[in-house]
Amino acid sequence: MPDVPQNAGYMVAAYIVTAVILLIYAISLHRRTAKP
Amino acid sequence: MSLAHKGRWITLVGLVCLAGVYVRALAFTPVERLQGPAQKIFYLHVPAALWTEAAMILVGLAGIFYLFLKDPRLDRFAAASAEVGTVFATIVLTTGPIWGKPIWGTWWTWDARLTSTLFLFFLYVGYLLVRGAVRDPRLRARYAAVLGICGLCLVPFIHLSVFLFRTLHPQPIIVKPSAPSLPGSMLATWLFSLAAFTLLYVGFVTQRYALSLARDAQQGEHADHA
Repeated sequence: MPDVPQNAGYMVAAYIVTAVILLIYAISLHRRTAKP
Repeated sequence: MSLAHKGRWITLVGLVCLAGVYVRALAFTPVERLQGPAQKIFYLHVPAALWTEAAMILVGLAGIFYLFLKDPRLDRFAAASAEVGTVFATIVLTTGPIWGKPIWGTWWTWDARLTSTLFLFFLYVGYLLVRGAVRDPRLRARYAAVLGICGLCLVPFIHLSVFLFRTLHPQPIIVKPSAPSLPGSMLATWLFSLAAFTLLYVGFVTQRYALSLARDAQQGEHADHA
C-alpha cells in the first residue's frame, strides 16, 4: 500500500487564503455599509 | 431591522458555519489515501466554484429580466451578485492551483476547465469595470445586463468542459447525473461547506444590495422605484 502523501502545507495554505479573502471582503462590506 | 443589518447577521452565521467546516474538515474528516491532506482543499474549492457559476447565472437572468422590465432592483441585485461572484472566483482561482501543485505537479495548465474559469473571472472583472466606468444609470444597467447574459452563456460551457475536452481537471464527483462517488463522512463535510458558502453568498449579496440602495437614494437615481 503506498504511503499517504505529505502535503498538509498546501492544505493549510488554501484554508488560510480562503479565510483571508472572505474576511477581507466581509470587513470591506461592513465598513462600506456602516458609512452614513 | 435594516437590510444591511440582516445581511450582516446572515454573513456572521455563514462565517461561524465556515469555522465549523474548518474544524470538521481538518479534524473529523478522513484523509484521502492517494491525494493526502491536499484533497481537503476540495471542501472549499468546489462550493466556491459552484457559487461562482451560480452567481453568474443569477447575474445573467437578472440582466435578461432587466432588459424587459427596466426594474432597477434587478440591476442592483445583478451588481451585488457579480461582486460576490468575483470574490468566490478569486477563491476558486487561488485554491485550485494550490491543490494542483502537489497533485498534478504544476500550479497551472491551460486546459479547457481552468482557462474557461479564468475567462469567467475576467468577465466578472470586466462587468465591475463597466459598471464603474458608465455614469448614466440606465445605460450602465443595459451594458451590464448584456455582459451578464454573455456570462450566463459561458457557465454551461465551463461546467461541461470536462466532458467536452480532454482535461487534467477531475470529472465531477458530486454534481453529476449519478449518485455522488464520495464516502458519507466526506460528503457530509462537503454539504456543510456548501451550506456555509450559501449563507455567505446570501449575506454578502444582501449587504451589497443594501449598499446600492443607499447610494441610489443618495444620488436620487431610481428613487421612484426604491
